[in-house]
Order: sequence, then structure tokens, then C-alpha cells
Amino acid sequence: MRKIIAASIAAGSFTILADRSYAADRDAGAQLAAMCASCHRLDVGNGGIPTILGMSPEMLTRAMLAYRSRERPSHIMRAIALSLSDEEIATVARYLAALNRQVRP
Amino acid sequence: MKSRTRREFGCLTGAMVLAGLAPRLAAGEAKAKVVVVGGGIGGATAAKYLAASTRTIEITLVEPKLNYTTCFFSNLYLAGLCSLESLTHGYKTLAQRYGINVIHDSVAAVDPVAKTVGLKSGPKLPYDRVVVAPGIAFNYEALAGYDEAATQIIPHAWNAGPQTQLLRRQLESMEDGGVFVLVAPPNPFRCPPAPYERASLVAYYFKQHKPRSRILILDAKDSFNSQDLFLDAWERHYRGMIEWLPAQFTGGIKAIDVKGRSVKTASETFKAAVANVIPPQIAGQFAQQNGLVDQSGWCPVDPITFESKLQPGIHVVGDATSAGDMPKSAFVANSQAKACAFAIAAALTGSERQSPHLFNTCYTFLSPDDAVSNAVSFKPVAGTIKIIDNFVSQVQESVETRHQAAREAQSWYAAFTRDTFR
Repeated sequence: MRKIIAASIAAGSFTILADRSYAADRDAGAQLAAMCASCHRLDVGNGGIPTILGMSPEMLTRAMLAYRSRERPSHIMRAIALSLSDEEIATVARYLAALNRQVRP
Repeated sequence: MKSRTRREFGCLTGAMVLAGLAPRLAAGEAKAKVVVVGGGIGGATAAKYLAASTRTIEITLVEPKLNYTTCFFSNLYLAGLCSLESLTHGYKTLAQRYGINVIHDSVAAVDPVAKTVGLKSGPKLPYDRVVVAPGIAFNYEALAGYDEAATQIIPHAWNAGPQTQLLRRQLESMEDGGVFVLVAPPNPFRCPPAPYERASLVAYYFKQHKPRSRILILDAKDSFNSQDLFLDAWERHYRGMIEWLPAQFTGGIKAIDVKGRSVKTASETFKAAVANVIPPQIAGQFAQQNGLVDQSGWCPVDPITFESKLQPGIHVVGDATSAGDMPKSAFVANSQAKACAFAIAAALTGSERQSPHLFNTCYTFLSPDDAVSNAVSFKPVAGTIKIIDNFVSQVQESVETRHQAAREAQSWYAAFTRDTFR
């Protein structure tokens, strides 16, 4: 693994910058998704609380905005949606979609 | 050269994802060490999320018990609606999947100068940061006649386990027509709606098996959490079965007569067939013995990192904290633990910390298929934590909405305990 890091450093600063911004986005996504995991199972399991894996980033973003505007009723999801910025919603939606690809390739 | 430690995420689903990661340490460099004291919801969540955030920190979780039984949902057990085993969770997955070093021992003391956590059995564990999650202790001095020994006769059952079983056996062997006296504690205490949920679910059990029995709540307070929702439910489901007497009515609780199984108030003494005394509460013993507690009896913490305001390098999460508007609940402990874990990971690895999001969500059963919920968001403001939004179920909700909340609650329990212990 250290070889791979060394190789990416050798490939030049452009690659590293691109890699870092991806990593930063993933870090932010993971920290936000940790909040979702208190109620939603972040694996294939499902129950009375709907799964949030398997939704596209666009679907998830739309759903969060609908909770925020009360178009979809749920006071728990409304509290969450109101506390997140548009950018945070987009970040966590991208992260969860990527996580879904890892869990269900 | 400082090691090129880039925090690895994407590990929240567990072993599968974690297995793909490799430590990003330069050869020979020592890992930073975090010791977590206490394996309840706060401690277990902090250990798990630290492990899932980075592989460059060595994490040790110290907890005397082999298993943790959740106090939340234990009222369903009292009503005969679930087993205590179904509420009991072990630490094997945290050790196996996340590589957390789980030690079943008690902690004697933290030495903040030497930066070690001393175990009762002798060894001292060095740390860079320590997370303390001691939960609650009971302030027996504040309640005449009641102490640790008395819990064998009149259980508080406010930590789930043997006392919860004892209380269940007492309810089972009680004659129909008896009075169950529940003493509700003064603020602040663990899980504000829980004494009243307990009254509701014991009433449900009585209605099925001992319909002539009654419940008397002797409260140290004049009002309680979600009072309108409870009073409405008691009228609809258990009319005439539950009586609530506030402090202003009784003059307050004065003493417990353990042998006589009665509760003395300023105005009158109440005799119980079964009594359940929930004493006034303070931060867990460990917090008190290690200089983490202020005059309030609780642990003041930084609202962003949950580092103790009294002992630098020591973080406190969960019920023991005095964290502004945040109530003492399992969900809050889990939420605080994540914020704390991300802050520690950022401090020790130099990675970026997002601004924390803090929540409380709470499901409360009024009957097995009538549940209400509450969702609150919080924000660090000027050295403390303030409520931003607060959404609560309403009295007029439809039967179907309440059924749905009860179904959701069961599903929430599975996801939440998985998030903490697996």
C-alpha cells in the first residue's frame, strides 16, 4: 500500500490535489452519514425505517429538500433536513450512493 | 518527517470496508492511543467511530461488564413485551471487526499528568486522549431511607439488568388490586419521558392481567416531559388506572420506608404493593472521583470536542455530561460520542473536522401500538449547546400515525444498537 502512495506522489502534485479533494469530500460525507446511521441501517438490512442506500444522489437530495419544506411529512427528518446546508445534503447524498456501490457491488 | 496520514473513511459498514484499508503509518512510528472508559452507548459509540475514522489510532475500551443491557426499551420488558436478552449486547464485534482492544476490568483512576489510565487489576494504560463515559450514579444522600442495599427490595431499575428483572418478578407476583407506586426523580435525570413511559407500559400489563390494580406516580417535580401526550394517552388507554401527584400537591417526597414498602411525602404516607423508586441522579462515580464534576454534580464539557472543561485531554460523553440544552438520553450519548470521536481523530491525525451536528431523537411507547416521537437539533453556541429546532408528536394524531411510530421505534432500536455495538 505504501508503494501505491509513493507512486501517486511521484505522479505529481495535480494528482495529489485531486485525490485530497476527493478524500476531503469522503471524510465530510462519512461524518454526516454517521448521523444517518443512528436510525437507518447503512447495510442491506431494512425495517420500519426505510433504507437510504440504493437511492441516487439526486433522489436523496430531492427527498431531503421535500422533508425540509414539509412536502414530505416526518418531524424527525424535518429536524435533520433543517440542520443541514444544501451543500451538506449534496455531500452526504454522494457519500451514501458511493457506500451503496461498496455494499452492493 | 510527519507521516502522511490521510484519514480513511467509508468504514461505517464494518469489516467489509475496513478490510480494504491499510495503516498509513511510517514504519516504526508509534500509534496515538485513545482509552475509552465505559462501554455504554456513549463509550461504545466513541470507540467504534474512532476505529472507523482512522487506523492510525490504537483504541482500548475498558468496561467491567461482559454485556450491556439497554435501559431504553426495558419498559417493554417490564410489560412482558420483550425479553431482557433481546436488549443485551456484547462487545465481540467491536473487538473483531474494528480491532478495538476491549478490556473487561474496572478503572481505578486517570492520571492526567502521567497520561495513564490505571486498571483495578494493576496495569496502567498510556493515552494521548481519554474518553470517559461513566453514565449516571444515584444520589442516595438526597433521599432519606433509600440506599444501595434498599435496591434489593425496592429496585430503581434505572440501569437495566438484575434490578429490572426483580421489578418484573414483583409485578408478576403482585395481587390484582395492588398499588404500584413509582417515585419520579427531580431534574435532570436519565431519559426524561421514561418514568412516565414506565407507568404507561405497567398499566398496559395490569390491564391485561391485573385489571383492578392501580399506579400512583409520586413526582419530585410539578410537571414532566411530554405531559400533555401522556395525560391524553392515560385517559384513552388506562382510564382511572394512573394517578399522578406532583410535588406541589404532596409537598414533596420526604423519605422511603423500605421495610414498610411505603413512601412518605410532606402531606401523607403512601403504601405500595410494589414500589419503584427512581432516585435523584448525578454523574457516574468515576467522573466524581477524577475531578470531572462541578458543583452541579455533572461534567461540564466543551460543546464542540466534548473535552472536559476541568481536565484537559479528558473527554466526557453521554449522561454524565452537562451539555447545555441536551437531555440525558441514549441518542444524545451516541450523537455526542460521534462528535467527540471525529474531533479526537482530527486532533490526533491532523485531518479535517466538519462542523458537528448534534441531535436527539426519542420514541416513547404509550401502549404497544401507540408511540410518539420527538426530534431535536442542537448547535454549539457561545460555549454551550442550544436547541435549534424541536419537533414533537401532537395529541390529536391519528391511530395510524401512532401505529407507524411504534413500528418505526422497533426498527430504530435495531438500527441504533447496531450503530453502537456492531
